[in-house]
Amino acid sequence: MDAGRALLLLLLIPFAASPVIYLTGRLSVLRQGTGLWLARWFTLIVYLGMGLPLYTLGRYVLELGPVDLKIGRIVLQMDGLGLFLAVTVWLLSTLVTIFSFPYIRGEEDEEKYYALLPALSATMIGLGCTRDLFNLWVWFEAMAITSYLLVAFYHHQKGALEATVKYLVQSAVGSIMILHGISLVFARTMTLDLQEIPPLMADSGLFGLAAGALFVVGFGVKIALAPLHTWLPDAHSRAPSGISAMLSGVVIESGLVALLRALGTLSQASPAWGALLLGFGAINILIGNLMALRQEEVKRMLAYSSVAQVGYMLLGFGVAMSYGIADGAEGGFYHLFNHALMKGLAFLAVGAFLYALYITKGSHAPLMVSDLDGASKKYPLTAFALSIALLALGGLPPLAGFVSKWQIFVAGAEVRSTPLLWLIIFAGLNSVLSLGYYAPLINRMYRNQPSEVVQAGQPIAVLISLPLLILTLAIVAIGFFPGWMVPLNASAASSLLMAFGFR
Amino acid sequence: MFYLPNIVLVVVLALLGIGIYCILISRNLIKIVVGLQIAVKGAFLALVLAGKLASQIDVGQSIALTVIVADTIVAVVALALAVQIRRKFGTLDVHALMSLRR
Repeated sequence: MDAGRALLLLLLIPFAASPVIYLTGRLSVLRQGTGLWLARWFTLIVYLGMGLPLYTLGRYVLELGPVDLKIGRIVLQMDGLGLFLAVTVWLLSTLVTIFSFPYIRGEEDEEKYYALLPALSATMIGLGCTRDLFNLWVWFEAMAITSYLLVAFYHHQKGALEATVKYLVQSAVGSIMILHGISLVFARTMTLDLQEIPPLMADSGLFGLAAGALFVVGFGVKIALAPLHTWLPDAHSRAPSGISAMLSGVVIESGLVALLRALGTLSQASPAWGALLLGFGAINILIGNLMALRQEEVKRMLAYSSVAQVGYMLLGFGVAMSYGIADGAEGGFYHLFNHALMKGLAFLAVGAFLYALYITKGSHAPLMVSDLDGASKKYPLTAFALSIALLALGGLPPLAGFVSKWQIFVAGAEVRSTPLLWLIIFAGLNSVLSLGYYAPLINRMYRNQPSEVVQAGQPIAVLISLPLLILTLAIVAIGFFPGWMVPLNASAASSLLMAFGFR
Repeated sequence: MFYLPNIVLVVVLALLGIGIYCILISRNLIKIVVGLQIAVKGAFLALVLAGKLASQIDVGQSIALTVIVADTIVAVVALALAVQIRRKFGTLDVHALMSLRR
């Protein structure tokens, strides 16, 4: 297969499938038939069908370099960074689709869920391979709109509506800020091409700084940079568990990739962007951990832990952007990938408990920490998967989370600057602090007597356990063989460093 | 002083300020959506102005048109949410939306 055509297919398949899935599902609902299985399995087939073009593209990008695709005046380019994001998104969303079969079954508007899921994945893949600043905004906004709709999926619940309002208003103001930033850059450079802008923005003084500030605030809402994170715990805890996994695992990370692309255009306007990200990283880690410590609700706790984990990625990227250390960028991307696996697994495992304890009984109550008492006695596999995910998030050695955090810390130490060393020590200590809320959960599951809720629980469906099993194996395997991911991380890191003028 | 780009720039900043102010002080969800819309109108003007300054007014205009489409979708989603909220909560006051705290 030709590489350009593979890129076209990778974007076209999910976008074309989305309305087909909706119509299939809607028709069967209208006829009160049982045709919804067709929509479900078609979604999975769509994802599996995207695997082949993705594989072709992967081979091509890793061996020969970026792939260009011209559609009219718009040029899409898949480089290492775009490929990295596409692989992460594809992997997680395929597993989320399988997970959702039993989880969403019987909900009202099930067909809309399956129609929006491929659209969300496609917007994120497109966001990774854009070459034009305004095009980047279009993909970003499309991703935001799809995710608003998915967060509001349980639209009969007050909590979900409230969370969506908070998310929508903050995010919409953020995208207005980005538009103003784009106008500044466009007025100054007369072009929107990401690769032509950087030299034209050199010595732009206030213009460049203002545009950068607007980008950081605008994309920062989606990434949950510390003072802009308030929508995140609400939205992540009220969405269906599969969508929580997607939001936490890939949507905020796509925002981060978009920010890196946008700041890449301003790399010659100021050298301070890396330091800015380092500062936000430290604040994010601290606030995320402190807020997670006091949560009673499991999904809210995991949501705050996402705020902290984004902080680690920001540290890695900040080191790479300020000092051109390749390890920093590789570690940042590695952590991004591992976070998609770990947080994906954590949210899916919590979703499995929600399914067994509440959803099969027709209740949509949130899962409290105390509901997990003694869960390992009745649900050994799910409890084990959740424990692995939590320990990996805390950064315990033989698991995936340790490898990537370690690489980020090593990158920071390579610079040999004292303030940065203190920052790394601070991040390391925070990693220990984070065990303060991960470990009690595991303790509860394994050492307490089963709670009444657990004793009355239903069995967990096989299709829910399958993605949990795959993700658990992946986290353990990456922990033992960290070298597997290196080609993908290295090519993503080299496109980032190239954007910031270090290669 | 009174040449066109300066005047447009003032209007852009004014629209942005009015929109954000409206979002910050309103308690009614519909008014918040209106505030968002006012702020976005500022962004359209900014994009067209940028196109003019870059002497590529056609690009600026086509970008602004795309933004109008995207922004309309956001407004539709927000208003649909407002309808649902009015049905569930019986009010459009955002201060009633305070169940998820901490």
